[in-house]
Amino acid sequence: MTKPFSFHLKKELTDHLFDYLLLVTAGVFFLTLLNLFRGQRLIEFIILVSFAFFYIVWGVYHHIVNETLHLKTVVEYILIAFIIIFLLKIIILP
Amino acid sequence: MGKIKDYIHRLFIPHEENNFRAKSLHTDFLTVYLVIAFLMTMVFKQASLHNVLGFATDISVDKLYQLVNEQRQKNNLSPLVLNSSLSLAAQKKAENMFRENYWSHYSPDGKTPWDFILGTGYKYEYAGENLAKNFLFSNGVVDAWMNSTTHRENLLKKEYTDVGYAIVNGVLNGEQTTLVVQEFGKPLASSFTPPLVQAGEPEAKPGVAEKKIEQVAVQPKINAFNFTFNLNVVFMAFLLLALALDFYFASKFNIIRIAGKNMAHFLFIIFVLMGLFISTIGAII
Repeated sequence: MTKPFSFHLKKELTDHLFDYLLLVTAGVFFLTLLNLFRGQRLIEFIILVSFAFFYIVWGVYHHIVNETLHLKTVVEYILIAFIIIFLLKIIILP
Repeated sequence: MGKIKDYIHRLFIPHEENNFRAKSLHTDFLTVYLVIAFLMTMVFKQASLHNVLGFATDISVDKLYQLVNEQRQKNNLSPLVLNSSLSLAAQKKAENMFRENYWSHYSPDGKTPWDFILGTGYKYEYAGENLAKNFLFSNGVVDAWMNSTTHRENLLKKEYTDVGYAIVNGVLNGEQTTLVVQEFGKPLASSFTPPLVQAGEPEAKPGVAEKKIEQVAVQPKINAFNFTFNLNVVFMAFLLLALALDFYFASKFNIIRIAGKNMAHFLFIIFVLMGLFISTIGAII
């Protein structure tokens, strides 16, 4: 029987609860800082870049803990982080 | 047809032919996305789609004028006529707001919207003012005004015949913003003193002066921003779709791989989109 999408989401989250809690905490911190510095475009962009770098570090940590660290995985995190930075730069800091 | 189906299959569904990872998420594809995103940034910068303060907005007088008149026509009201004196009053009001650093209908030293309107030589029988800041698009501004009772009343007031707009960028209370000022009026038919005036809402508390004002009128023709913004949305939507499909099928087929199941990428993009939403929330008074 096919399990629903939410089942897979829940399983993935509970299997790596601490890691995802860390990422969500950083995400909430990121949103709080953005709200605090709303309108100060340069600071907003710095906050975004900092969050992107945290995400890369988090990815490396997550894969070390799971013993699945591979160069290709790190490159994937870096690529996604920078794609988002470039896309958002157009809006936040053109 | 079969080839296209196979390609889409390889592009989005992890299986042995794409090394159990959606092709659209392979590093070579991600590198292509990165190059496209980088080129978009460069093109956007080179095309001078922003003004000197570096704001990216797609708010224009033409669009505001058109949208407001559409709302009036929907409510069986006559369209407003764009009046140069009211536009000048709106421009002066916006400049004054940046110079004296306040977000209110009334300046800290007591100037009212009517002072700016009368200052341009426009003698009114009825007048009103709506203000907005921090919006990205013209329709966002008009929608916000239409959703507020007092602003909506101004927009749909049958007595008004003229309207003037100013869209000015500057720093207000330390926040870089795009300010929209809308002045309404009905010219005085005879020479008696103006009997009635109206503002969008009561006076708000003025802010504390922090920075020197630097401002510039927004160029009305920046529709390319709209295009780039939409392209950005499509790009992110594609990335999210690819991640979601890959996650779903990798979970469904119980695929175990070193790259994991994209949950982190998914969360990261969601947080960034929420952040984008926070940094572009508009305000009206």
